[in-house]
Amino acid sequence: MPIPGLFDRTIGLLEKTLDLRMQNQQAISANIANVDTPGYRAVHLEFEEGLKHALAAADSGIAPEAGAAGGDFSRVQARVVRVADPSGIGDRNGVNLDEEMIDLAENQMLYEAATQMISKKLGLLRYVIQEGK
Amino acid sequence: MDIFDSMKISSSALKAQRVRLNTISSNIANVETTRTPGGGPYRKKEVVFKSTGKIFEKHLDENLKGAVQGVEVSEIRNSQEPPKMIYDPSHPDANSEGLVAMPGINLFEEMADMMTASRAYDANVTAIKAAKRMALKALEIGR
Repeated sequence: MPIPGLFDRTIGLLEKTLDLRMQNQQAISANIANVDTPGYRAVHLEFEEGLKHALAAADSGIAPEAGAAGGDFSRVQARVVRVADPSGIGDRNGVNLDEEMIDLAENQMLYEAATQMISKKLGLLRYVIQEGK
Repeated sequence: MDIFDSMKISSSALKAQRVRLNTISSNIANVETTRTPGGGPYRKKEVVFKSTGKIFEKHLDENLKGAVQGVEVSEIRNSQEPPKMIYDPSHPDANSEGLVAMPGINLFEEMADMMTASRAYDANVTAIKAAKRMALKALEIGR
């Protein structure tokens, strides 16, 4: 999105959110796939904090132009956290299936929310381009 | 990054769970089998799962490599449990004392295993549906 002023940094943030949520979907799928694998440690991705920091940095930053702020978000990376089985009994598998299913539903809904927001933003832009028709 | 990666991961699990279900079916079907090509009673088969990253490694993001793994069947092994000796002198495979060596299969255990496998299969189907819905939603942006 190279046209400065046409797209604000919200689009950049939403774009990165979609990207990270899709990665999170992969991690959750991997955990569900390995629900019966002995010794498997569950994978969790943490990126909410990273996005929050990037947003705060963009808010207080010297460069308010859309291009510069968008570049900030694209550098946000998900942190991979591996969780071992805390109970120490059975096959030492660290996956909690109920938790993963809830994460799956939550991740999916937030992804869809982000796509909706992008659609709405683009819709607003289209409304202006068509002079409110 | 590929939007189909997550589906590939889940489908690897579907495949593995299906192998497990087939094995359980085989155990239940052979609960009273006393003759096998290798001689002796049927031995209970056990499936061992192993996580694998090979199939998806090249598609994944740099920081997800090694972290996101699918699953595959590592081996199907014969159970080490000894055969169960049952007194049945009229059985053609009974020994001189009237004892028959039966496969040491616990039907309750097999049924519980079957339910777990079936639930795990369902969970993976749900994960595939979620991934599919997300991909379709992304295609709807700007409509």
